[in-house]
Order: sequence, then C-alpha cells, then structure tokens
Amino acid sequence: MSDILTIMKFTIKDMVKRKSFIISTIIILVLIIGGFNVPNIVKLFNDDNSGNKLLIVDNNDIFEGNLKELKGEELGYNISVVKASFDDVKKKIENKDIDEAIIIEKENNNINIRYIVPSIGMMSEMPNDLIDSLSSLYSNIQISKLNLTKEELEAITPNFTYSMEQTSDEEATGNILVMMLMSIVLFYAIYFCAYQVSSSITIEKTSKIIETLVTSTSPKNIVLGKTLGIGIVGLGQMILIVGTAIISALLFLDSNLLSMVLDMSNITISLGIITIIYFILGYFTYALLYALTGSTVSKPEDIQSANTPIAILVVVGFYLSYFTMMNPASNLNLFASLFPLSAPFCMPFRVMMGLANGIDVAISIGILVVTILIIAKVAIKIYSNAILNYGTKLSFKDIISMYKDK
Amino acid sequence: MSLVLKNVSKTFGRKLVVDNISFTVDRPGVYGLLGTNGAGKTTTIRMLLGIIKKDKGDITWKGSVVDRKNVNFGYLPEERGIYPKTKVIDQLMYFAELKGMKKEEALKAINKWAKELKVEEYLDMPAEKLSKGNQQKVQFMTAIIHDPELVVLDEPFSGLDPVNTEILKNIIIGLVKKGKYVIMSAHQMPTIEEFCSDILILDKGKTILQGNLKEIKDSYPANRVEIDVKENIDSYIKEFNLEIENVTNNNYVIKITEEEMAHKLLEKLIKEKVKVDKFEIKKPTLNDIFIEKVGE
Repeated sequence: MSDILTIMKFTIKDMVKRKSFIISTIIILVLIIGGFNVPNIVKLFNDDNSGNKLLIVDNNDIFEGNLKELKGEELGYNISVVKASFDDVKKKIENKDIDEAIIIEKENNNINIRYIVPSIGMMSEMPNDLIDSLSSLYSNIQISKLNLTKEELEAITPNFTYSMEQTSDEEATGNILVMMLMSIVLFYAIYFCAYQVSSSITIEKTSKIIETLVTSTSPKNIVLGKTLGIGIVGLGQMILIVGTAIISALLFLDSNLLSMVLDMSNITISLGIITIIYFILGYFTYALLYALTGSTVSKPEDIQSANTPIAILVVVGFYLSYFTMMNPASNLNLFASLFPLSAPFCMPFRVMMGLANGIDVAISIGILVVTILIIAKVAIKIYSNAILNYGTKLSFKDIISMYKDK
Repeated sequence: MSLVLKNVSKTFGRKLVVDNISFTVDRPGVYGLLGTNGAGKTTTIRMLLGIIKKDKGDITWKGSVVDRKNVNFGYLPEERGIYPKTKVIDQLMYFAELKGMKKEEALKAINKWAKELKVEEYLDMPAEKLSKGNQQKVQFMTAIIHDPELVVLDEPFSGLDPVNTEILKNIIIGLVKKGKYVIMSAHQMPTIEEFCSDILILDKGKTILQGNLKEIKDSYPANRVEIDVKENIDSYIKEFNLEIENVTNNNYVIKITEEEMAHKLLEKLIKEKVKVDKFEIKKPTLNDIFIEKVGE
C-alpha cells in the first residue's frame, strides 16, 4: 500500500510540475474566462447608439405628425423630426450636426424608409428596434382610423398560451442542451486522463526505466499507483475547469442570459458528488484498459495504433449515452445508464433529469465496480508479462497468450 | 551457501536461451558472468531477480526464493533508464522510498553516494541535461542507495569513460570490502580479471566454463613471453622458430607452446650478452581463454 502511495505521489508531482501541463491548464482556463466574456466583448465593440442624434424626415407627412411619439420610446436616440431635402440631411451629417437620419418617402403605394449613415460598414444595418417602432407606430395610426372598440381590438390581437405535454409517466426535467454539454466535458475529462495512463506507461518503457521500477515494487503497485496519481490530477483539473466555468458564468454572464441557458436549481451538491463518483469509475474503467494497451508497446509512435480499440470503446460508450439522451425516457437510455462503458457519461444526467433513483444508481455503480475489478485483474496480469517486451507492438494473439501465461 | 542457481533454464518461443545452468556464490566478492551478446547473461540475471519467470530449476538466496520481499538486492539493468524530465534528486528519492527508506535516511544516502560518484552538482537538474556517463552513475546510485546485500550489475562499465570507470571500480571494491555479494556481467575481460574471484562463461545459453578464475588460469599452460630489450632480437627468435605476436620499441610479445622454449631463448640472449630489461613468461589472459572457449 505504501508503494502505491509513493508511486501515486511521484506521478502527481511529476505531472503537475510539467510545463506542458501547466501551460495547457492555463490556456484552458483563459479560454473559459474569455468564452464567458464573449457577450461583454461583443458589446464593447458593437456600435452603441445611445445618445446618437437621429433626424427623421417625413416630407409627405406619411406618419401624420405622430413621429414625435417615438421620442417617448426608450430607443436611446436623441430624435428630432423635420422636413428637409436629402442634400440638407447630407450636409448636416457631414457637419456632424447629426449622427444619422431616416428619410420616409412614398412612391406609388410603397413607403420607402431610407436609413442614412456617414458610411456603411460590413456589419451595418438598420437597427431592429427602430424598424419595429416605425412599423408598430404606422399600424397603430392605421388601426385607429378603423374606430374599433376595445373588444374588437383585443379580438384581433393574438393571445395564445403554448405548452408541451407527454403521455409517459417518467418526466424529464432540466435543460437537455446543458446536460449534453456537461456529458461532453465528462467524456473529454475521462478520455484524456485515461489516455495519459497509457502514454505514461509507454514512456517508462521507452526510457527503459521500467526494469529498475519492477525490481523496486510490484507491477500491481505500479499500475494502481500510476492510475490513481493521474486520476487525482485529472479530477483536480476537471474541478478547476468546471469551477472556473461556473464562477465565470456567475461573474461575467448577464443573469437573464444565464438563467435562460442554465437552470441552477438542477445543479445540486448530491449531483456534483454523483458526477465525481462516475468520473472516478469511468476513469478507472478506461485508464486500466489504457494501462493494458500502454504496456504492449515500447515506442511512442505505436501508442496511437495500440490505443485505437480502446478509443473506439470510449466513443461507442459516449455516443450510446449522448444520442439516447435526446429521448431520455427510452429503454436504450436506461441501458446506456447501466452498461459500464456508457454509464459514466449517462447516469449523472439521468439523475439530473430525475429519471434515476437510488437503486438505479446503486446497480449501475455495482456493475461498474465489478467491471473495473475484472479489467484491473486482466490489465495487471498482461502488464506484468508485457512490460519487458521491447521492440514490435504485441499482437492480440500475443496478449492473449501473455494472459494465459502463468 | 548464499546464492544458488540449480539447473535453471528459460525458453522464449522455441528458442532455448538459458540451458540448464548452475552456479553458487558462497562468499562476498564479485562473481563474473561472461558471454557474447545473446549468450543469456541478461536473461539469467532477470530470472535471478524474479523479473522474468524461469521455466525450470531453482534459484535461492540463503535458502529462500529470490524476490523483493526476501532479499535486499540492488540492480543496475543493462538497459539504462532514467526519467528524462524529472530532477535527479526526485527520482533518487522515489526509488529510495520504494525500497523502503525513510526520507531523511534516503537524503543522507543520496548525498553520500552523489559525493562519491561526483554527481553532487547535478542533483537539482532534470536528468536529460546530464551526460550519458553521469546518467549512468545516477542509475547506479538507485541500485546501491538502500545498502543492499546482493548487488547485480549488468554491464556496469559499458559506455563509461576511463575516469568514470575508475570511480565505479573503486565503489565496487568498496562494496566487496563491506561484505556485499556482487554479480556482474561484463564484456571487458581485463575488468573481470581485476574484480572477479569466480566466473561463469556462457555461450548460446550453455555454460562452457565456470569456477575460480585463478584456478582456471592456472590450469592453462603459459602461451606467451614478453621481453624488453635494448636491441633487435628478431634473428634469435627466428632461430627458435617462434612467432612474434607483437613488437613495439623492442618490447616483444612472442607466442610459445611450452615454457621450455622460453627458457632456451633466455639462455641464448644471456649468452649473446643481450641486455634484457624484462623477461616474463605469461599465462593466457581471460580474453585468450574466452576467445578459445567461445570460438570453439
């Protein structure tokens, strides 16, 4: 046990001291903080119209003198309504007496609205709030001419209530998009941490340190110590990333926008604990598989091909969970939450949606633990026999015979 | 008896790489394992330490099976390895702790051996910044840091310059003086001759010669004469039909098949009043014996 702790501590220290680890973590955190600031940054660069002097020209009196009502609206413009020619308007803009202008004209039965600005940029367009206000004002003028009663006016104004209901008894709550996003985060966290185990083992073979190591402690201690160490670093990194994301969202996102995207009532401490448990179990499942493949190669260039079968399993597990999440009450999603390769990506979200109870979680964890024990037994056995194999990558047949070898 | 290997064999696939070898190390000292590349030395060492499983035979240390729990051993593998990005002191501490040492005890031992091996200044550097020789010395430290009673060194001098070879030699001599058992494989015959009391020569997995080195050498008749003279003596040598193996600045190495021929040559040189500075009848070197045995 003390050897497992020694290897675990050495692995943690070795990983967190690496420049590549520090730099990549900082980059991820900066990207997250930057990402949550995108709306603020966009706002910073967008033209702010507040206080702009807007001249509205209605020479034909199409709005029948009602344009002054726009002043009362919170459009943020300093509006004045006049009668003037295009040349007058142009001169006023060039002299910076006004910032922009709207010229309203009637041609046959069409009303033309010309939005005049000093220069048209690539992203320039007439502000939607101005368009809406002008349309609404014109409609009101025309409706008022019909002399409708209040009841008649209400009758032609739609006032619908929309809702969606299901026939199934199981009711899913929570935002599916957020769950999918979190499922992706969990997938990447598990995948990249587990992958590290494989490369860490191969590096020990490449640098030939393995022979010194196996005479200092048992292969079982090496596999478990290394897996634990990398897992702890990965979990720490995931907590740091998710924590930064939550804090950034609370600090930098508009609270209305945040509540639209994320229903915070779904994020509870127990869900956090369940997610961490599934991260740990998912990580162990895949990390031990990667330990197995990592021990079968001795050259860094062979890692990729040796790890392909495991990468396929991770992707299958993830997509089984991801696609069935679209219909979380389906039997396939239930299967995905129990199947050990997909359960880590699926069960936390069934819990979040209120579709899984304590028994479901206990069964799923039980299946995962048994799977991990079986994988650990096989992985340690093959690792013990394969670590001193230098040279070509072991074939599947070699691996099987190594497992059978006493 | 301390270390006993009895009828040990190992097969990889269909290839028999170690064939029924046996040897015993019953007193402190250096036991030499010799052989060409692929003779089975490293496989024997790996079986001895339990890194790979033997197919047949027994390996015991003081009556118990050799493994990490029963024997305090240190091992320098032939495949040199080190964590390239990790500081030297960190990796030394790591291996010391894995070998059951307490932190303070380990630190004391690291400083002591670093001083003796002249790598003190590199302790805080990542291992990849060290020269190959210094990396090898660091790895040697991992083999002896925990004061093992059995030290197994697989080709310890390969790749070392003469200065570092000398440093390592002195440390191995020091280990023997402290009563340690050292098993060493090497290619350099002069080194083996210098250190080893007993040897075993392997060829294609089979033992072709083993025993006390002095007794082995004594069992061979003299095969050379080295003569240091002030003048050219080619004509006298030719007179006795002897073959010159090497001659440099009137230092002759002459092949002989029996000692009597050397005595006759010396008599002739004295009679002719040749000034002889050195006249030595030589037994075959270990290198001669090795080549003779392996070349058979």
